[in-house]
Amino acid sequence: MTFETWDGDDETAAGRFVPLYVLVNGRTAPRDSSLDLATQVVSLPVDTRRLEPEYLEIVHRCANWMSVAEIGAYLRLPLTITKVMVDVLIEQGYLAVGNPAQQKIIDQHLLDAVLAGLERL
Amino acid sequence: MDRTSVKIVVAGGFGTGKTTLVASVSEIPPLTTEEVLTEASVGVDDITGVEGKTTTTVALDFGRITISPDVVLYLFGTPGQDRFWFMWDELAQGAVGAIVLVDTRRLEASFPAVDYFERRGLPFVTAVNRFFGECAYTEEEIRGALELDPRVPLVWCDARDRESSKLALITLVRHAMTRLRVKA
Repeated sequence: MTFETWDGDDETAAGRFVPLYVLVNGRTAPRDSSLDLATQVVSLPVDTRRLEPEYLEIVHRCANWMSVAEIGAYLRLPLTITKVMVDVLIEQGYLAVGNPAQQKIIDQHLLDAVLAGLERL
Repeated sequence: MDRTSVKIVVAGGFGTGKTTLVASVSEIPPLTTEEVLTEASVGVDDITGVEGKTTTTVALDFGRITISPDVVLYLFGTPGQDRFWFMWDELAQGAVGAIVLVDTRRLEASFPAVDYFERRGLPFVTAVNRFFGECAYTEEEIRGALELDPRVPLVWCDARDRESSKLALITLVRHAMTRLRVKA
């Protein structure tokens, strides 16, 4: 006779053990609407022991500056979920945020820097 | 904090070489990020007869180029399917500009992208991908077919070639600078 027992693996064949919408408390949009998929974040040196594993993984990934899109790609999370999770982590002081791409568009100095960078490639 | 992201959009019809171009200049192998859409946000999708299908996944390929210690350039390829316009909006928002790749065997595949960036007022350059062999058209013929504004640069490129892709990016940034000066 066999019994259905949990083998400790959260990632079952059917998918995640914890549905994604539970992870983000049902939120569907980040509070900070300027959070762009190219916005970069970096982890701050704070105590992370109380974080859920999924959130902890993001903090660990961001030891160096990383964009929302990269976090989503590496952790295989949909973009919207990634944004909400990153937003929660910023709000709670685990991550620091860089300049959102859309606030820098009209800057001639930035375009000069990009041009010089591309020419050096 | 002083850490700046810059975006460039790489657009064009399905199979015009967007990911190839991103891969040729990116410092990392192109990554794929996915957006999962609910039925409501897909809108134009006809899901009649596909009971139970409530989500669609849109994949975005992207790469990165570190410009300086505090500036990183991200290159985002548009989703293959033209109907995901709202994803284009997010990519175009705040972008320096766009490269529209053109496959001369299917000029019309790049028309929606040209039209989109024109309407949005985002600086863009057209890059005719030579990867597909000898081009049967002259620059004038391509410009005519795509109804290009004479001020929009057109470059010939091979999306597999790093130098060639670099040139397309440089042409775009120069064009964006010109547009900025005109506005100022």
